[in-house]
Amino acid sequence: MAYLTLMERLKIPTYDNPKYARSGRVTIDREKCNGCGNCALICPGGCLYVAGIGKDKRAHLMEEEFPNCMSCNDCAAMCARDAIAVSQTYDFGFFYKTLHRGGLCAPRKF
Amino acid sequence: MKERIRGDYGSMLRRAFISKGVDMVEELEVEEKPASDDITAPMYQWKDGMDWNPVEKVILERRSVRKYKDKQVPDALIRRLLEMGRFAPTAGNSQSWRFMVIRDKKTIELMEKYARGRAKFFMFWLNWRTSPLGKIAWLYSQIAIRIMHNDLHPIPLSAMSVIADGTLKLFHGAPTVILIFEDRRGAAKPELDCGVCGQNMILAAHSLGLGTCWVGLVELLKYGIKWRRKLHMSYPYRLVEGIAVGYPIGHPDGMIERELQEIEWYEDGQWKTVL
Repeated sequence: MAYLTLMERLKIPTYDNPKYARSGRVTIDREKCNGCGNCALICPGGCLYVAGIGKDKRAHLMEEEFPNCMSCNDCAAMCARDAIAVSQTYDFGFFYKTLHRGGLCAPRKF
Repeated sequence: MKERIRGDYGSMLRRAFISKGVDMVEELEVEEKPASDDITAPMYQWKDGMDWNPVEKVILERRSVRKYKDKQVPDALIRRLLEMGRFAPTAGNSQSWRFMVIRDKKTIELMEKYARGRAKFFMFWLNWRTSPLGKIAWLYSQIAIRIMHNDLHPIPLSAMSVIADGTLKLFHGAPTVILIFEDRRGAAKPELDCGVCGQNMILAAHSLGLGTCWVGLVELLKYGIKWRRKLHMSYPYRLVEGIAVGYPIGHPDGMIERELQEIEWYEDGQWKTVL
């Protein structure tokens, strides 16, 4: 069981530094993606963009700004070609850190 | 007499029925319906490893929608959603809520405009990245985050800064907005009851082909005296949440992966962790 130490409870960094927090991350399958731009349209964090001309048009993940991806998975749900998937969830360190973390998992039938 | 009060009512009833000559056990037996291949068949029964039933499907496929078509939603449909909200479970059946539906495009725009101004004001004091106050803003934000740690969680904080920039609209340009007010005199946890009723509404909306999104930042409106008057936000009522309703652009619904969280499970005298 994970828990918060006193230090973690007291310290709330500004989260500008990637050292203190981890953004969500999406993986884009460049072979399946056709650059329709639906994912970039609905992304609430605005962390996806479409670049390229003609056949080379593909979705890309923005790298500079932080925090952007909140791993809501909307892009994965929107994509008609299953080209996009969330590989990592966001986690803020210290005060806002997630306890009891497990892996990502699709709905299961019991 | 003593025995009648203490004894369980089942056996009492059975005795009464037997005395009348009716066989109770046979009366209570319910005929089991044969399972068919119809999609609605598994609604009220469970089998090992069965497919999702329609309700589960609606729950799993619902995604928050943040891009809406301009097309207005028919008012009968909105009435139907509110009807679903009305039948939500509440503490002590107190139904401590008040709904407000806003379908006027201009009013929604004015609300968005006000929210943007208010977000700008807060970001001036709290956003150390953009504020001209610099280090003082950092100090203020550090104090404010410790006091209001839910409202100023990094995600709403960055959402507020995006609203202040003007790149994000408060209601995402939805044609209809449902505001939920909490009656503060309600039983036990009126705020939670409002959440339950809102969830009923958005699940019903999804099953009827609409898109919805919870908008918690409507709270920005409560800082304006004009909006407090206009939305009648006075004593027993407090603005809790807003729900943006509209037709989504594209098909944003689908099942996704979510994080598993540990569940503590106590059974047969020992603890275990279930994922």
